[in-house]
Amino acid sequence: MLRITDQDQRIILEGEMGMAQAREALAELKSRAASLPGPEVEIDLAQLRRIDSAGVAVLNELIEWGRLNNRTILLQHSPDQLREAFKLFSTEAASTDTQVDAGGFFYRLGNGMVNVWESVKVFLYLIADAAYFSMVGLFNRRGIRKGEFINQAVLIGVNALPIIALISFLIGFILALQSAAQLRQFGAAIYVADLIAISMTREMGPLITAIMFAGRSGSAIAAELATMVVTEETDALRSMALHPTRYVLVPKIYAISITMPLLTIISVVIGIFGAMVIGFVYLGIGIKPFYQEVLTVLFFRDIVTGLVKSLIFAWIIVLVGAYYGLSVKGGSEGVGRVTTAAVVASIFWVILADSILGLIFYFGQGLEY
Amino acid sequence: MAPAIVKVNQLCAAYENDQVLHNVSFTAYEGDITVILGASGCGKTTLLKHLIRLYLPRSGTIELFGEEITSMDEPEFDALLRRVGVLFQGGALLNSISVAENIAIPLEQHTDLPPEVIERLVRGKLRLVELDNAQKKLPAELSGGMRKRAALARSIILDPPLLFCDEPSAGLDPIMTAALDYLLLRLRDELGMSMVIVTHVVPSIERIADRCIFLDEGVVLFDGTLKEAKSCGEEKIERFFKEG
Ligand SMILES: Nc1ncnc2c1ncn2[C@@H]1O[C@H](COP(=O)(O)OP(=O)(O)OP(=O)(O)O)[C@@H](O)[C@H]1O
Ligand SMILES: [Mg+2]
Repeated sequence: MLRITDQDQRIILEGEMGMAQAREALAELKSRAASLPGPEVEIDLAQLRRIDSAGVAVLNELIEWGRLNNRTILLQHSPDQLREAFKLFSTEAASTDTQVDAGGFFYRLGNGMVNVWESVKVFLYLIADAAYFSMVGLFNRRGIRKGEFINQAVLIGVNALPIIALISFLIGFILALQSAAQLRQFGAAIYVADLIAISMTREMGPLITAIMFAGRSGSAIAAELATMVVTEETDALRSMALHPTRYVLVPKIYAISITMPLLTIISVVIGIFGAMVIGFVYLGIGIKPFYQEVLTVLFFRDIVTGLVKSLIFAWIIVLVGAYYGLSVKGGSEGVGRVTTAAVVASIFWVILADSILGLIFYFGQGLEY
Repeated sequence: MAPAIVKVNQLCAAYENDQVLHNVSFTAYEGDITVILGASGCGKTTLLKHLIRLYLPRSGTIELFGEEITSMDEPEFDALLRRVGVLFQGGALLNSISVAENIAIPLEQHTDLPPEVIERLVRGKLRLVELDNAQKKLPAELSGGMRKRAALARSIILDPPLLFCDEPSAGLDPIMTAALDYLLLRLRDELGMSMVIVTHVVPSIERIADRCIFLDEGVVLFDGTLKEAKSCGEEKIERFFKEG
């Protein structure tokens, strides 16, 4: 039990001040100290029988509060137990962190810009390193983790096949279903084939694959690299005259550059197949006419568009994942944070790149499609 | 006196805003075991990481094998690093591959040795650190002390003329610590390996140190032989040896 009373310029504490009382005690002490005329406020501790670390913290906090509110808090008549506890737990002797001045608006704005520029620089260096080591790696295997390419190709690509196939089928199926309802009204049901073939090849195939890759592999890459940074594995590699980018990242770049376009093709084919099912069941279009319609509408350049996109998406996913992984701060907790951030950022950049590429291909071909 | 193998001159180091090392200067000589000691958090690991250029100093110079490293270009420094072994405080084994594969990394990457020879070398080094049976295990399946020893095996796999160790005996029992110290002494005597070793363990310091450098809050408090250190009259150092 704690009793707080005041008399003249003194606040008297009686009983015990521990974890259980700390919260109320602090509020009470502050309000009483504030109501006294000051500037000196004496706290009489003679009747205090017991105090623990929380109690000491309350007194420390009160002194600090006094400093900010023009009150000098004087602790008086401390019994021995209290003095010992104070020595053990007090934060007064330890230097408190000096407050960094947050600065004015323009200072902070400028500082923010510098930080953004620093991040951009780091990212550009990463791209340069990755590009350089990927090229060099084609001719010289030194410095690249042995047997890792196959490993990564399986991990990144092959294992993603079932889920990408399933989702592509469903997307093709749904798209066809939605458009069929409209097209049928005009007696133009066969154009479902055109619609789905074009949109799967140019847009949906690369995009579905990229989003699945971002979720599966982008996060895995970020987590792996972040863990390596946190456990000093990247430092160790460096100390063995190896470059983490080259040793760890290059095999992943090769693996994703091969598997992503392949999976994109598979995604497109399965998506069109999904549409075919709708065409057959719901619109009564035969498999063969559907197939022929697809062949007449798809040009080589549609396929190239899709593949170029998928390759660029692949690099975005690897590089964004690596960037977040390598920039991890703050131990294992940071790993989770950068992993999530990597997924969100890579999906964002993939979609942004998709829009930009869409525009480039659109205008690049003289508006003819 | 033997030639200098590590020479640090007026090194200042900082993480972002807080400076950790203040004008640190010292020299480690060829064939010596130079021990860096000091309280936890005083900047020993930071110093070691600067010696292998994981961080660039704010100011000052660092010479390894008589060559200035802070301004050296990358390929040149890579070549130099192959003559340096590093044991990190946490071991820093790659977690996704086995102990034997970890130890083989420098051999696979920097030599043309055939696989049989690499395997034999790996087994030899594992025997040195008394880990004969751990070859196939993953780092996560080892105890802390075993991981440390595996990492030591990796750091000496290329028989580097210069070895940096960050607390090699942390997490080891006294008997293992002694065994490790004798191993380090053998490496020094038989291979002429020079070493810079961070450690807190007083009995270990007494066994291996040719020279001691005492760091205190990022400042060199003492630099000299072990005997001089014990009788230098500096209170912090005397306490360190008495309490340790
Ligand atoms: N990555 C980092 N970022 C920011 N500050 C760091 C970092 N690493 C270390 N420090 C700070 O640098 C100081 C020195 O740390 P260092 O790891 O060099 O100490 P140490 O002497 O090796 O201690 P120990 O004996 O406990 O290993 C500490 O104050 C620490 O907080
Ligand atoms: Mg350390």
